[in-house]
Amino acid sequence: MSYFSDTAIDYLVVNITDMPNDCQQIKQLLKLANLDLDPNVTCFIVAKSDDKIIACAGIDRNIIKCVAIHPDYQGNQLNLTLIDKTIKYAYEKGYFHLFLYTKPENQPFFKGCGFYPIVEVPNLVVLMENTPVGIKQYCKQLALQRQPGAKIGSIVMNANPFTKGHQYLINYAASQCDWLHLFVVNEDASQFSFDDRLKLVKAGTTSVHNLTIYPSSSYIISKATFPTYFLKEAAKLDQAYMGIDLLIFRNYIAPALHITHRFVGSEPFSDVTRAYNDSMRYWLQDEKASCYPAIELVEIERIKEDEMIISASLVRKYLAQKEYEKVKQLVPPSTWDYLQKALH
Amino acid sequence: MKIVQEATAGTLESSDLLVKVQPNQGVEVIVNSDVNKQFGDQIRKVVNDTLKILNVTDGLIIIDDKGALDCAIKARVECAVLRGADDQQLDWSKLL
Repeated sequence: MSYFSDTAIDYLVVNITDMPNDCQQIKQLLKLANLDLDPNVTCFIVAKSDDKIIACAGIDRNIIKCVAIHPDYQGNQLNLTLIDKTIKYAYEKGYFHLFLYTKPENQPFFKGCGFYPIVEVPNLVVLMENTPVGIKQYCKQLALQRQPGAKIGSIVMNANPFTKGHQYLINYAASQCDWLHLFVVNEDASQFSFDDRLKLVKAGTTSVHNLTIYPSSSYIISKATFPTYFLKEAAKLDQAYMGIDLLIFRNYIAPALHITHRFVGSEPFSDVTRAYNDSMRYWLQDEKASCYPAIELVEIERIKEDEMIISASLVRKYLAQKEYEKVKQLVPPSTWDYLQKALH
Repeated sequence: MKIVQEATAGTLESSDLLVKVQPNQGVEVIVNSDVNKQFGDQIRKVVNDTLKILNVTDGLIIIDDKGALDCAIKARVECAVLRGADDQQLDWSKLL
């Protein structure tokens, strides 16, 4: 294969759900780059030569994923043009603030395309954004909400939906701190919409006065949006995801608000989730993980109601089984009111 | 002239540049160039001069340069600014 072949290269937007042949070719191309197809990506910008796909870049809303170029075509202008077209496509769709995950060794290339690194989990993954000021501006805005005190707590929760367990965690954390900053995960990958979840958190915490509630930004990453295609082993995937999410928290968000503590509910169910909290401790507290000050992780035993350990997933399970009396026991009255209305 | 919306002009092709503009308080210019060592100051000068001619008072201007000539830089910056400024009353003679 000649690198300087005269064959014209066409750039096309492909929706892989309609194009099984292209989909197959993309999968093969990604395999050569040691990547899998992310199930969330259906739209690809592809470069075709002689009707054969030689490069591809996937786009899932504002996240660029699954970028691969056939080894025979690497090292020329193809990559720049491909990324350029992908960025333009995202702009046309109204997404100006773009993110991308890549392997650390590809970072220099994407820097040349106008992407700036936010955090890196060594040897695994780098998260980049297409502006040099994105996270800085976000932190500047957060800093306006800064509160005085020596012990500033934080909680990140999905609250899908808000239970008595969440309420207990917030009340406890607020009682231990001078101020508590609470982030509610802002995306609609959950059963309950973000607006509803936020409303229920607010309704369930009206008695807490040293509390600020925020919708989480693009910088608090939910597992639902983290690219699963990236690493094949589940353990490494978890490590990469947690590393990215918690390093952003430790390096940017916590310093902006002077956060010293992060509160979480204990994970009573399995060894896997316990390992999860151990790894959380590493990213937030270990000196080796980051040069920013450590954040103390406070794990709180989950409360029980009638021998049931309260969790949002249990509420969703009972809802699905229509066991409404049990649901009622697990959630505060404000959430119960909402659920009743939603059920009718 | 103020940048009131996000806009872009240009490409990442060799000898071109991608200009992104977004709303901001005051003017801020960020240049990211393959030839920054040799031509960074010259690129910043062309960008700042162009912004001055257009009388841009507020906006964040991000440049990803791939070795563009001054005339290309000027044209791309003008284009991105006009797209982002949404200014109907334009004095075209100034742009010559």
